Amino acid sequence: MSALYVRFKVAGAAYVLAAADVLQMESFTGATHVPGTPSYVAGLVQIRGRVVPVVDLRARFGLPAVEPSLDTRVVVIQQGERVVGLLVDSAREVVSIAPGAFHPPPDVVTEQAAGFVKAVAQAGGRLVMLIDCDRVIGEGKLHVK
Amino acid sequence: MSRSGDFGEFVSGFLVEAEEHLRSANGNLLAVDDAARKGEVNPRAVRELFRSLHTIKGLAAMVGVEPIVDLAHGMEAVLRTADRAGGRLSPAAVEQLIRGSEAIEQRVRALADQKPVPAAPPLLLQALVELEPSESPSGVPPRAPIELDPELLAKLTASEHAQLTGGLGQGKRAVRVDFIPSAARAAEGISITTVRERVSALAEIVKILPVSAPRTEETPGGLRFTLLLLTTDSDEAIAAAVTTTRAAIQPLTTTPPEAAAPPGPPREAWLGELDGEDPKRGGVVRVSVGRLDDAMEKLSALIVTRSRLARAVAALAAEGVDVRALRQIAYDHGRQVKELRGAILKLRMISVRELLEPIPLLVRGLRASTGKSVRVEIDAGRGELDKAVAERIFPAIVHLIRNAIDHGIEPPEERRRKGKPEEGLVTITCFERSNTQLELCVADDGGGIDREAVARRAGREIPRSDAALLELLSLPGLSTRDQATKTSGRGLGMDIVKRLTEELGGELLLRSSPPKGAGTELTLRIPLTVTVVDAFTFECGAQAFVVPVAMVEEIVEVDFEAVVKSPMPLAGGFQVSLMERRGEAVPLIGLHSLFALPEGGATSTKALVVRRNGEPFAFVVDRMSGQQEIVVRPLSDPLVKVPGVPGVTDLGDGKPTLVLDLVALSGTLSGKRVEASA
Repeated sequence: MSALYVRFKVAGAAYVLAAADVLQMESFTGATHVPGTPSYVAGLVQIRGRVVPVVDLRARFGLPAVEPSLDTRVVVIQQGERVVGLLVDSAREVVSIAPGAFHPPPDVVTEQAAGFVKAVAQAGGRLVMLIDCDRVIGEGKLHVK
Repeated sequence: MSRSGDFGEFVSGFLVEAEEHLRSANGNLLAVDDAARKGEVNPRAVRELFRSLHTIKGLAAMVGVEPIVDLAHGMEAVLRTADRAGGRLSPAAVEQLIRGSEAIEQRVRALADQKPVPAAPPLLLQALVELEPSESPSGVPPRAPIELDPELLAKLTASEHAQLTGGLGQGKRAVRVDFIPSAARAAEGISITTVRERVSALAEIVKILPVSAPRTEETPGGLRFTLLLLTTDSDEAIAAAVTTTRAAIQPLTTTPPEAAAPPGPPREAWLGELDGEDPKRGGVVRVSVGRLDDAMEKLSALIVTRSRLARAVAALAAEGVDVRALRQIAYDHGRQVKELRGAILKLRMISVRELLEPIPLLVRGLRASTGKSVRVEIDAGRGELDKAVAERIFPAIVHLIRNAIDHGIEPPEERRRKGKPEEGLVTITCFERSNTQLELCVADDGGGIDREAVARRAGREIPRSDAALLELLSLPGLSTRDQATKTSGRGLGMDIVKRLTEELGGELLLRSSPPKGAGTELTLRIPLTVTVVDAFTFECGAQAFVVPVAMVEEIVEVDFEAVVKSPMPLAGGFQVSLMERRGEAVPLIGLHSLFALPEGGATSTKALVVRRNGEPFAFVVDRMSGQQEIVVRPLSDPLVKVPGVPGVTDLGDGKPTLVLDLVALSGTLSGKRVEASA
């Protein structure tokens, strides 16, 4: 049985997250910066009364920053008790992917997204990367080189 | 009149009591109204109502709010007559009583807001008088005149004057006695409130007048209260109740009235109850929220002591001491502190049932103003809310109910056409969703929301989901566009409801046209408790911050001429300057550089001084912007858990604003200094 995934883009690459983990997607109008947090924490936003910390995926993946645009989205995910927003360049579609379609990521991907990609799959003829949420929002400094 | 501290406390005491009695009066008014509309009588509610008004009148006289005295007096007279008629009241009379109650409420509010209290509406007073059959014995000759200081006499209303002379006619003695409040007496638990309670058991209190007096040894508070009483009890008993001597009792007549005067109609038996204990008061203590907050603060100190204890135990253990017994004690102690905290939090809770008590009266008013037939069903369950949450969320609940009746419920003819019962139904249900959150739902069986009309008015696409619809409805100012709210469904003030809810960290949900093709359902999810603190707001590097007032020792102007650079930079090359303040060298920390914020441009000269372990620290900020009460929402996600930022608040712009703990921040600096010197 195929499951639903939310597809979004960061620096031109397409990523997916299980739709079941996504609470909502919101446009981004800036976050309140919290001094002393890691550089990839964009800050706090208030969404439907909830104060949500936002992780800037560009910064998290070690990619250059860009100015937020009208397409910029905060993908709000729930991981256990935690609710965290992921700042992405754009997020629009929900795609359906069969579980068997996922494969371990090739080395080149692993390098680019520094171990944040769990698996890759073909969806609609395009390559998508499945994000490892636990790692992305974990405080642990897993890092590259 | 002198507004000395004692008097101020006195007024706040009045406000609390008046609110309580008004609440009870409104409940009984509804019962009376219900009976009147069915052509029945409810003598019990009439008496209870009389009781409440009688008390309100007495209390209002004590604080010298004549408009309330006049209103309560007028209403009391109508009720007395009604009681004699077995509790019978015409719907017209009930209408006037409800107006009277509203008028009193407005005046109590004005007093609470420290605004001038408007006079009693003359038309309303007139209407109340006209409801009273003129059975007062107009032919009765005037009785012994009242003798009193002209100054005091001028403060008596006509009705009080009549009450005094009437009492004399019934063979009672009219006396005056002064009570002088003082700190010493207050320490013994003797205040005007306790005196009033004691005296009311012995005498009919006609009036209590606060009189300002020069601050002398005799009147240390610069204030005394003159009590005017009607009594059949002895001077000694009265003197004892007022904690004074018999000599202080002054009769208000030179010649006692003929004892032979007919005793008049005996006081109604039930009036006697008024002097006795109020049965509902049994076992209830009223405490101001300030005192509870104070207890909580003391408890916080205890928690700090607890962690010191734990550290000391750990240190002993490190030295090889057997601390097993000590550990057990520390563990028990910790648990008990936690339980105590729970107990104090519990004291601040009020039941949702109590919170929703005024709703039926509100619905009644809306029924009258909209001409719609509607009833309300409330199932408050056993939910409880922190008083601070209850006060903040109540206006939102009122908005929702008003919307449901104004815009949700259709007019009777339309309902008939649709084959619905003519009487619309608004239901309010409440339950505890978890042990931290409560869900309160306001539903109506009306026509639902016209999505197209809302979209048209907002100039947006037709919303496809309920969440999107709610978003449109919550656009600020949507409702103020035109008068077309009636056709477009609701929207009135929905932005306000959303803001009130979200400021508390709650959530607003909408379900329009639920299955059966009718009605709208709005749900508030609100936290059971919140932390409310008084805070300074300020700006630094174009970002707003708040800091609890209690944490700040002083806000100072920094004289940069007199600032010297500290010879020793802190860890990370962080440079601290020193400022001289009352002979003390105070480290001056620019919040800019500490937080790596952009410089604000103009040189800032304001600094907030805090003290940590006796050591002062001054934080330079760009601009102080104000002071307000804020709801603190703790930050718990590990991503944003940093020292010095315990939480955030919403200052009303829908964005999180950081709440700073400057004391903890200065702690991180001391840490750095230690590192640097190591």
